[in-house]
Amino acid sequence: MRFLKYWRYPAEWPILRVDDRLLLIIAGAIVGTSSGLAAVALNRSLVWMLDSLLAYRHFWWSFLLPAGGAALSALFLEKIVKEGAGHGVPEVIYSVSRRGGLLRFRSSYSRLISSALTIGSGGSAGPEAPVVMSGAAIGSSIARLFSLNERQRITLVGCGAAGAISSIFNAPIAGLVFTVEVVLGEWTALNIVPIAIASVAGTQISRILQGNQIAFAHHLFRVDLLDSAATVGLAAFTAAASILLTWALRRSHGVSTQLPAPLWLRAAIGGTVVGLIGYFFPVVIGEGYHWIQEMIEGAFVSGFGLALLLVFAKITATAFTLGWGGSGGIFGPCLVIGSLVGLTYHRLLEILWPSAGWIDGGCFALLGMAGLISGMLQAPLTGIFLISEITGGYGVILPLIIVSALSTTICQFLEPASFYLKELVERGQLLRPGTDGRVLADLSVSELIEKDCIAVQPNMLLGDLITIVQKSHRNYFPVEDAATGVFVGMVMLDDIRPYLFNPGMYHAVLLGQIMKTGIETVHPDDDLPEILERMDANHLYSMPVVANERFLGMISKATLLDRYRKELKVQTTLQ
Amino acid sequence: MQGPFTADVRPLFPNAAAATVLGRDAAKAAMKLSIDKVAEYLNLPPSTVERWVRQGRIPIQKTGESCSFDRTTLEKWAQQRGLFFGAPEEPSTCLPQSCHETLLAAMKRGGIVHHLRADSAAGALKAGVAHLPLLSTESRDILFERLLEREQLTSTGIGKGVAIPHPRSPLSGVDLPAMIATCFLESPLDFDAIDDRPVFVLFIILCPSLQQHLHLLSRLAFCLRNPEFEALLQSRPSAERLLAKVREIEKTLEGGGF
Repeated sequence: MRFLKYWRYPAEWPILRVDDRLLLIIAGAIVGTSSGLAAVALNRSLVWMLDSLLAYRHFWWSFLLPAGGAALSALFLEKIVKEGAGHGVPEVIYSVSRRGGLLRFRSSYSRLISSALTIGSGGSAGPEAPVVMSGAAIGSSIARLFSLNERQRITLVGCGAAGAISSIFNAPIAGLVFTVEVVLGEWTALNIVPIAIASVAGTQISRILQGNQIAFAHHLFRVDLLDSAATVGLAAFTAAASILLTWALRRSHGVSTQLPAPLWLRAAIGGTVVGLIGYFFPVVIGEGYHWIQEMIEGAFVSGFGLALLLVFAKITATAFTLGWGGSGGIFGPCLVIGSLVGLTYHRLLEILWPSAGWIDGGCFALLGMAGLISGMLQAPLTGIFLISEITGGYGVILPLIIVSALSTTICQFLEPASFYLKELVERGQLLRPGTDGRVLADLSVSELIEKDCIAVQPNMLLGDLITIVQKSHRNYFPVEDAATGVFVGMVMLDDIRPYLFNPGMYHAVLLGQIMKTGIETVHPDDDLPEILERMDANHLYSMPVVANERFLGMISKATLLDRYRKELKVQTTLQ
Repeated sequence: MQGPFTADVRPLFPNAAAATVLGRDAAKAAMKLSIDKVAEYLNLPPSTVERWVRQGRIPIQKTGESCSFDRTTLEKWAQQRGLFFGAPEEPSTCLPQSCHETLLAAMKRGGIVHHLRADSAAGALKAGVAHLPLLSTESRDILFERLLEREQLTSTGIGKGVAIPHPRSPLSGVDLPAMIATCFLESPLDFDAIDDRPVFVLFIILCPSLQQHLHLLSRLAFCLRNPEFEALLQSRPSAERLLAKVREIEKTLEGGGF
């Protein structure tokens, strides 16, 4: 029995208790491997589903396939695993930001199944976000198994995300950078090592099972100065497409949620629209990776008009898939739209200056992907590293950096929060480490409350208060009803200072007469940012904390500053 | 002198080793701190420290379900973050001995002099200082200078013929308990008092700390407000009668118990 108990609690194995960093590295490798496996599993099932449905694609009713897949996926999420729809990455960021990286274990497989149904049947979405969600949930569950603290758990959640992205794209640096830039928002000596190990583990798993292939191989591009200069214009195009895609996704979500229909029916309607578009433009179907390959190789034949139409078709299809209840991520569609935008831009250049000798359209498709990812995620590093890794294209790194940086800047100017973060920012739930919001969210009223106030009663004389003032350390005296103990008001020394030295009033004035009533109070569950706002608005330096009409203590700016500094020091000092 | 314990242990080497190990464990246990203790040392509520443990912001030693804190690790941790870590100071602002110091004891120590002859305020101070016990000659000179300095600032004649000469700050290098010398003058002197009445009694106050000075001064002022005490002073009472009255008044002040 003792032996069994020993295996039940891996947290107590002596080898894992040698050093916390070592433990995190080992756990990170396990998490990276597991999420790499999850990515491979999803990839294989997608390929299998697309292959087996290929036979039915030429029937007239094939436009209903995405509808069926989306409806099944919505039913599965809603009824069986009881999770909300959503692409996954915002959920992971929310968990890191507000819940110390806590995620449900079932999240580690639910999104895999639902997104396989959606994308495999032809829905326009990417498999990356579901895999990130599942990797993050695996990381969170393993952290729980090892009974790790919140900071370590967040690192393991990051490991899961890094392993997933690394594995699905065979791109370890992209996984690492994506995690740090988008998911965690923190780059420290403590979390970078386990995340790097997880990226390596995830990539290694994918190479063992899938072979070491560059996702979108291509011939060498020779970029000259003119092409580099032209990428400035491309950045404007990709930024516009990012904004359009963001708007379309949010808008279609808004419209669909207003329909008085169950989720699965909405998903089916969205799927039907996608199927109809896909009937005419097969490029919008599924995650669309092989179309990207064609575009980069320059084998994708289309003029300017058709390419532009395809951009809008893909954006619409993605909005109808994800906005109407399908399950999947925006990573894949971003890559497809980005390469279509790049292609469109190339065709436009050729029309405008046919004799300039432009580089191959494939190069612009590649740059367009970087521009769209950077613009959509507002994460330039992720765009740069992901595209240079998945295309093996270090040769185009200079225009790649230009387009990523510019696209991010333009998008940030037009839309301050990225697609992933917008909702969280609007709800005030995005709390990046080391920020004011983070520190204030961690502190609570119960930690700041000062309880050494002496309570007085309304029927006491001013003379009685004088003796209490001599004993007290504070300038505030809560007034409580003698019989019920209910908080009725406050006596503040500042208000009564003029009468304090007038002995003639000591026996003439009751505290009930000089106390202040109807003053602003705070509840122990109130949020600190809100309390501070009220203090600023009313020019107060301290407020009484009152719950159930009982006085509990005072909360003051002076104490808050003291705790705030301590908290900030503890949160921002490494090691 | 060989105790039974040393006699038993000395020849047995393994036992001695075991004893050292035990000693080391005991030392280790002494370095362990509870969560409440850590909170107290950091001057924070325990709920904050609990949250830090949960979030992994503070180093802990885990043993199964429970956790403990190591003192040296925490000291280093706090130092790196610029946090104060150590036993909190005594909450009382005045030292215990100064709070329990009574006016009676200080007056007894300082002594009571009658018929002090002097023809000026400075002369009266000089003569009063000469009567203070336990002081060295240099300290007496310094004290006299300080008293004069204080008088030049504003007279310490507080009215009704009473003056309370004292130095502005405790004398450095004088390690004596608080004392108050009571000097009844032979003939009342002009002391430039606030009510312009001649002064007939001096209370020279000498205290080792400001805290104690304020404490004794407030008690003396309380006595001087008492009409009976005032009348008694006018009669230039003997030491016994004066001290008896002080004891009586102080008793009412402390509610009968010391």
